[in-house]
Amino acid sequence: MQQKQRIATWSVVMILVVAALAAAQTTRKEMHFKVGRRASVSIVNQYGPISVKPGPGKRVAVTAIMYSSKVEIDQTKRGNRVSVLSHLLEGADADSGRVDYEVLVPADASVTLHSTTGPLHVEKLHGDVILEGSTAVVDVRDVNAGHVHIKTLNGPVTLTNVSDGYVEITSVSGDVALNAVNGAQVHVNSSSGKIRYDGDFGQAGQYSLTSHSGDIEAIAPSYASIEVVARSVQGKVENDFPLQPEHTSFVARAGSAFAGTVGQAASSVKLLSFSGKIHLKKREQ
Amino acid sequence: MTCEEFERVLPELGSGHSIEQEEHLKSCRACSDLVADLNAISRQGRLLQGSEEPSPWVWNSIETSLRQEGLIHQPLQEHSLLHPPRLSWRLRWLVPAAAALLIVFGVLLHERGTGPAPTAEQQSPPASVQTAEVMASDDMQLLNTVGARMPSMRDAYEANLRTVNAYIRDAEQSAHSDPNDEVAQQYLRNAYEQKAMVYEMALDRSLP
Repeated sequence: MQQKQRIATWSVVMILVVAALAAAQTTRKEMHFKVGRRASVSIVNQYGPISVKPGPGKRVAVTAIMYSSKVEIDQTKRGNRVSVLSHLLEGADADSGRVDYEVLVPADASVTLHSTTGPLHVEKLHGDVILEGSTAVVDVRDVNAGHVHIKTLNGPVTLTNVSDGYVEITSVSGDVALNAVNGAQVHVNSSSGKIRYDGDFGQAGQYSLTSHSGDIEAIAPSYASIEVVARSVQGKVENDFPLQPEHTSFVARAGSAFAGTVGQAASSVKLLSFSGKIHLKKREQ
Repeated sequence: MTCEEFERVLPELGSGHSIEQEEHLKSCRACSDLVADLNAISRQGRLLQGSEEPSPWVWNSIETSLRQEGLIHQPLQEHSLLHPPRLSWRLRWLVPAAAALLIVFGVLLHERGTGPAPTAEQQSPPASVQTAEVMASDDMQLLNTVGARMPSMRDAYEANLRTVNAYIRDAEQSAHSDPNDEVAQQYLRNAYEQKAMVYEMALDRSLP
C-alpha cells in the first residue's frame, strides 16, 4: 500500500516537473499603451493566433506568448497608432517562431491583423477591422459600424452579427460563412470556396457573392426585401422565393439564372458563380 | 530640273549638290523646305546616334524583314542598303521610321488575318493559353520566393495559384465569347483581383 502511494507521489512530482519545464520554454510578454479615441492597432504575426477583444479604458493591452528564443517582439507607438510585430530570428520556423497574442483594445479602435497561419479572432468592436491570413481561420463576431476587410488564401472565414458595416472578403479557396451580416456594402469574392449567407439582407444594402467553382447558398426570411440576380454559367441555380420579374441585362434561363424582386426590393443581391451551384433558400420559420 | 526629278535623286544626295540641283533648290520653295526638314531631322538623329547605335545585327534584321515584306528590293549596287556605313547619312532617319511602319504593318496584318475571321470560340483558347504561359513563369518565380521565405507555405500558394489561374482561364473565355456581358466582365475582374491578392500576400514586405 505504501509502495503504491510512493509511486503516485512520484508520478505527480514528475508531471509537475515536466509541466514546469514546458512552461520554462515559453516566455510571456505584456505590453500596455495609452491611446486616444479611434486608435489604430496593428499586429503582424507570422505564425500563431491573434485574438482581439474590447478592453476597459483608452488603453491597448497586448499579451504575447513566445515558444522559443528565435522570435522577438518589436513594438512601436506613434501618436494614436500602435504596432506590434513578431520578429523572426535566424532559423525560426512555424513552431519556434510561433507567438500567441491576446489583445485588448478600446472598442472604437481600428484593428489590422496579419498572420500567415492564424487563427484570427475579433469580437465586439465598432472600428475598422482589416484581417489578412494565408491559411488562417478567421472569425469575426459582434462587430458594427466599421469596415471589415478580410483576405485569405485557403483560410475559412466566419462573420457573425456584423451590422452596418462595409464588408469585403476575398478568399481563394477558403469557405466563407456570413451569419446575420448586413451593411451598406457586403462583397464576397471566392474562387473555389463555398459561400454561405444566412441573414435578412438588411435595408438599402448592396450584396454581391461571387465564386468561380464554389457553391453559393443564401438563406433569407420570407419577409426579406431584395432585388436579386443569380446566375451560374455552368452550374445550377435554385430559388425558393416567389419573384416579381424584372428586366436584366442577360436572359434569365430556368436552371442557370434568375432575377426578380421580393417585397420592396430594398437591398440589391447578386449571386454569381461560374460553375458552382447557387441556391436562394427561404428560411424555415 | 523638275521637282519629280529632284525627288528621284534625293535619296542619293550626299553632303553636296550638283549645280543643276542647287539651281532647282533656289527656285523651288517646296523642295528646299523638304531638304531643310531632312537636314534638321538628320542632325537630331545624329545626336542620338552615338549612344543609341543598334548593333549591325539589328540593321540586318530590319533590312531582311523589309525585303521579305516587299517594301524594299535588292539594290543595284552590291552594298547592303540599310547597313549604316554604306547608307547615305541623310536617309538614316528613315530606318527607325521604316521599322516602326513594319511593326504597325505587322500588327495590322495580324489583327486582320489573311483568312476568314475566326469565331470568338476559336480566338479565345490561344489567348488563354498564351496568358497562362506568361503567368506560369511569373508564378514560378513567386513560388520560389515563397519557398525561400516560408518553405511550409509553398504548397498552399501553389495550390491556390492553380485555382486562381483556372478562374482566370474560364473568366477570359467567358469574356471573349461575349464581350458585352457585364457578368463575364465581373468574373474577370474578380479573378484578377484574386490573383493580385495572392501576389500581394506572397510579397508583402511587412511579413519577415
